[in-house]
Amino acid sequence: MKLLTKTTQNFLLAMALILSIAGMALYLLLRQEVTAEIKEQLELQAELIADQVAQGKTVNFPLTTVAEVSADFPSEKRLGDTLIYDRLQQKNEGYYYLKLVKNVNQRNYRILVMTSYIGWERYYKTIFISFLGVALWMAFFGVLINYYSNRKIWRPFFMNLENLKQFSVRSAQPLQWHDSSITEFKELQYSLKDLTERSRREYLALREFTENASHEIQTPLGIIQSKLDRMSQLEVNEEMARYIVQAKSGVERLSKMNRNLLLLAKLDNQVYSERQFIYVDELLNQHLEQMEELFSVRGITLNKTLSPVQVKSDRYLCDVLLSNLLSNALRYTFSLSEIAIFLSEQQFIISNPGAALDFPSEHLFNRFTKSANQPQGTGLGLAIVHQICLLNGWTVTHNYRMGVHYFSIDFN
Amino acid sequence: MKLLLIEDEPLLLDEMDAYLTEQGYRCEKAMSFEAGEDKIALYEYDVIILDITLPGGNGLNLLQMLKNQHSEASILIVSAKDSLNDKLTGLNLGADDYITKPFHLEELNARVNALVRRKLFKGNAQIIVDDLIIDPIAKTVFYQGALVNLTKKEYELLLYFIVNKNRVVSKQSIAEHLWGDHYDMADNFDTVYVHTMNLRKKIAAHTGIDYLKTVYGMGYKFTSV
Repeated sequence: MKLLTKTTQNFLLAMALILSIAGMALYLLLRQEVTAEIKEQLELQAELIADQVAQGKTVNFPLTTVAEVSADFPSEKRLGDTLIYDRLQQKNEGYYYLKLVKNVNQRNYRILVMTSYIGWERYYKTIFISFLGVALWMAFFGVLINYYSNRKIWRPFFMNLENLKQFSVRSAQPLQWHDSSITEFKELQYSLKDLTERSRREYLALREFTENASHEIQTPLGIIQSKLDRMSQLEVNEEMARYIVQAKSGVERLSKMNRNLLLLAKLDNQVYSERQFIYVDELLNQHLEQMEELFSVRGITLNKTLSPVQVKSDRYLCDVLLSNLLSNALRYTFSLSEIAIFLSEQQFIISNPGAALDFPSEHLFNRFTKSANQPQGTGLGLAIVHQICLLNGWTVTHNYRMGVHYFSIDFN
Repeated sequence: MKLLLIEDEPLLLDEMDAYLTEQGYRCEKAMSFEAGEDKIALYEYDVIILDITLPGGNGLNLLQMLKNQHSEASILIVSAKDSLNDKLTGLNLGADDYITKPFHLEELNARVNALVRRKLFKGNAQIIVDDLIIDPIAKTVFYQGALVNLTKKEYELLLYFIVNKNRVVSKQSIAEHLWGDHYDMADNFDTVYVHTMNLRKKIAAHTGIDYLKTVYGMGYKFTSV
């Protein structure tokens, strides 16, 4: 629920409550006052009638009756109301009457005076309607005032909120804050400013750390590699040679893993947000040309169906994606088999015959998942593929049917 | 040929120095931004190998300085950052080539050699080993006037061996040189073996000389007579 709706709702509820209590009170008070007033008036009238009777005049008041009663008639004074048929309006009207027995010149007279009153329902109705009118006007103006003050007072708040939605620790330019005269909004603004600046600083520190760490690892690896190269220039015996070769392959794996981890970190940080139009078929053909001998040495035939397809992606990432999928197919396919590659506007499919996975297929795109009989892989290639697809809004799926692995990427 | 090696890691610097000196280059060394700056200001070099990440400053600034001086030197950037951006930045600033750590010294040597050839002879220099004549422009190999028919990859492989002759070149280094580092070459060394053997046979068939020696487990070595 929006704040404005909530406050307006509360405001309206409170107003309805206050107005109904006020209305009720007004009604009751009015009724009491009016009744008292009428009673006084009737008493005065009765007094006047008694005077006229005393002077022996004919009583000439409307709506009064005077009747002589016996001396032992019980003295009474009763105020009440009654309905009398109004011939003019052709309906019953409400009247107040005062019945009393008065002793005038040692004779008892019963006097009845009446006066009409407006029906209480009508009072009630009038009050209700006028109060409802007040309530509606107040509500209308309340909402109007709320709305305009909302537009004015809350504007900086909403602008800052919009700003915050756009916020990314990666963007180089600091956020533009909109000042507000409201203390709470000022405080919020300061806190947000502080928060965003701090998270950006931390992000930059992290990024720097990642890059530095990678750099710091690459250099020692370079040293190890060059020293191993130097050793292999010497006259060494067979055993020694074996150790050197094994050490070299370790260094190779380490440096490859480091590169891949760095790439994954960059993908997580969405460093690659530039996109351009790329002809996937051209890129694929370049790779296939490069890999020609790698296929032919193992007697693998290539069956490709490529239509010219353009996608929007970072060029380097697209390159990595294709080379990872191709080298993955090359690594796990049987010798003398056929790798099929299909490319259309909608999807890219690469399939290779190969042994079934020796781990649950849902782990396939996880980091460091690798087959037990292929220990030399880094287990990061497909995780990178998955991450790149996420970044480009593509989906990558794997199927295994009749001894063939299918990797498909949907571009939509 | 005068080379300047700007690299802050002493062990790597020594290794580069030793190997390139063996290849007949005169090498000078600088281990920091300032030292590199001084050397660049004082002397002329043919090739400068420049590590980007240096104590005291960014190597790219040295590159900028060289360009401002209108230096004739060819520049090979060495970086531990395997990112396309750095590469493009370096090349846009006027570097001639870019290599990522860790690298094989044979690869470094091959790159330097290519820069030198481009510089000295506009790439037009024939490379002659005994009676083998290699034309880098046409990418052809002749033996005593007869064309040795090589595939593109075999040609590249031969050139790599010759530039690094008398040195054991590992399968790994060959694989990376021929296919770059993206196809997970660790399990494709068979391909290197097949290519090397094909090349060996073709050269031997023409010359009767077995130039390529297998060094057990380590790789191969090209030795001239």
